[in-house]
Amino acid sequence: MLKKRIIPILLIKNNELVKSTKYKDYNYIGDPINVIKIFNEKKADEIVVLDIDKSITGEDLNYELIKNLASECFMPLTYGGGIKNIQQAEKLFSIGIEKILLNSVNFNNLNLISQISKKFGSQSVIAAIDVNKNFFNKIYLFDWIKNKRINLDINQHVENCISHGAGELLINFVFKEGTLSGFETELLDFLEFNISIPLIINGGINSITNIQECLSCRKIDAIGIGSFFIYYGPYRAVLISYVSNKDLLIGK
Amino acid sequence: MINNIFKYQVCNRCIMDSTAIDIIFNSNGFCNFCSDFLTAQNNNNNYNNLSKFIEKIKIDGKNKKYDCIVGVSGGVDSCFALLKAVENNLRPLAVHMDNGWNSELAQNNISNLIRTLKVDLHTHVINWEEYRNFQKAFLEANVIDIELLYDNAMMSVNYRLANKFSIKYILSGNNTSTEGFKIPSNWSWFKNDAKNIKKIGKKFSNQEINTFPTFSTFNFIYYQMIKKIKWISFLNYFNYNKEKAIKELEEKTNFKKYPYKHYENIFTRFYQAYILPKKFGVDKRKLHLSNLIMSNQISRTEALKIIQQPCYPDIHEERKDLEYFLKKIKWDKEKLNEYISQKEIYHNFYGSEKHLWDTLVIINQKIKSFKNFFKI
Repeated sequence: MLKKRIIPILLIKNNELVKSTKYKDYNYIGDPINVIKIFNEKKADEIVVLDIDKSITGEDLNYELIKNLASECFMPLTYGGGIKNIQQAEKLFSIGIEKILLNSVNFNNLNLISQISKKFGSQSVIAAIDVNKNFFNKIYLFDWIKNKRINLDINQHVENCISHGAGELLINFVFKEGTLSGFETELLDFLEFNISIPLIINGGINSITNIQECLSCRKIDAIGIGSFFIYYGPYRAVLISYVSNKDLLIGK
Repeated sequence: MINNIFKYQVCNRCIMDSTAIDIIFNSNGFCNFCSDFLTAQNNNNNYNNLSKFIEKIKIDGKNKKYDCIVGVSGGVDSCFALLKAVENNLRPLAVHMDNGWNSELAQNNISNLIRTLKVDLHTHVINWEEYRNFQKAFLEANVIDIELLYDNAMMSVNYRLANKFSIKYILSGNNTSTEGFKIPSNWSWFKNDAKNIKKIGKKFSNQEINTFPTFSTFNFIYYQMIKKIKWISFLNYFNYNKEKAIKELEEKTNFKKYPYKHYENIFTRFYQAYILPKKFGVDKRKLHLSNLIMSNQISRTEALKIIQQPCYPDIHEERKDLEYFLKKIKWDKEKLNEYISQKEIYHNFYGSEKHLWDTLVIINQKIKSFKNFFKI
């Protein structure tokens, strides 16, 4: 079995690195190139970079920036944000991106997953979903661009993404994102079937113990981490850190 | 004394040479830099006063969340200052400034240090686009002290936070033992020169000060004299030895040492090992090594051997830093070569506060001697 991965997830807005809380309140973190370089030297398993502007503005991707990021990153780099067609995906692969992450485009065009998957292999496509919870703690599918619930059945949507050829599934828990409140593995109970592809969870990770809990959960194959690797202490001081699977074994 | 600035000469005691414009050699061939250092060192009897000083910080900081600020870069000196502050039961707030050039090593050292010592940290991240514009402007202005930007902002960040938390002491890793040599006047520039930063930024990058934290002569007067915040070279209170400090940090905090000074910041490294020697003919290692010779931490023979080696320990590392520099600044190699070949222009050509500062220093001295004369 492949070892479970620990993946820093970085957000880009206006070509700057930011960190949000529950998809709001963006805080400036610094120059994305330097932060990627630091994670690279820390030998992170993989890195995911999401440009959160591009899906909203509809602008074309900032290939120059992405290329610079890829050139500082020797581990698999995933890019997501604003990808609408296979030509963009091709260009991304040509400048050093290893995986493409598709999220909101999957609501109305699942064919893009199929196209990329057929041409480059399913391992190169991550389907991402954002989920939120309602007043009764019921998990629902969230459209982060429109900032509201989308009327699709989550399980059906996930199944569609998988059947169209997604190689991995990333679930972002919006109500947890950036909160450092801890991820509870029970949050995955909403899934009604066994996910046949690797599952990455993201949202709320707040300690080494919390990472270990998630790693020991059978359903989880990889953990996405933002705030816990970016901030330190009561003032949320920016201080880049990383914990590898190996470090955790030594710590045991 | 013979002033020999036109003929190349190396000091017989340290390794300072006539690339320092204000060097003067005596009849033994000893220079004013090492002589001044010895005088200053003899006058530094701070380490007898440590406990008294610690008590004073504690009393002044009573009932406050923190009693001092320690600025940490991730380098040996500042990390050691923080360690010593905690070991002396002070309650420091660690402050770090991120200018977009942090190395992994620096982040790792700071992280290990503050987690082990259980100290709160405040990071000020300067907006990188703005900082880059200022750096680019300083490069294009052909002035020598590009690190004025970092040093100036760092002072500003530390004083502002001290003020915010009503802290009276900023403990810095500056020290006479490894940094006690006066920097030759043609190797750097006056560090409180906010005007110089504004003028050069505007002229070459059309960049205004938006979020960049500047520190002017008036800020200095405000924080030091009105707010009574003191900037302390904390390590002068200790018998500071760099090698021993590294060992102690390694044992106590998992510190990783650097191949040479200032390796915590990639730009500082590239600036000192590439730009300064290639464009300005300045090799700052002479200063640091001379300092170590005079504080008996290294022999002169050993220092002379080190200085013969290239500034970059290996060519691969130089190439890696160079490529990274070009990527970050958005220059190509041609532009860098052109820059290296251009002549230096002095900082004050663009407008500066140095004259104002010098005048104020003279006035201050006059007032002091006047007071002394009349025993006020």
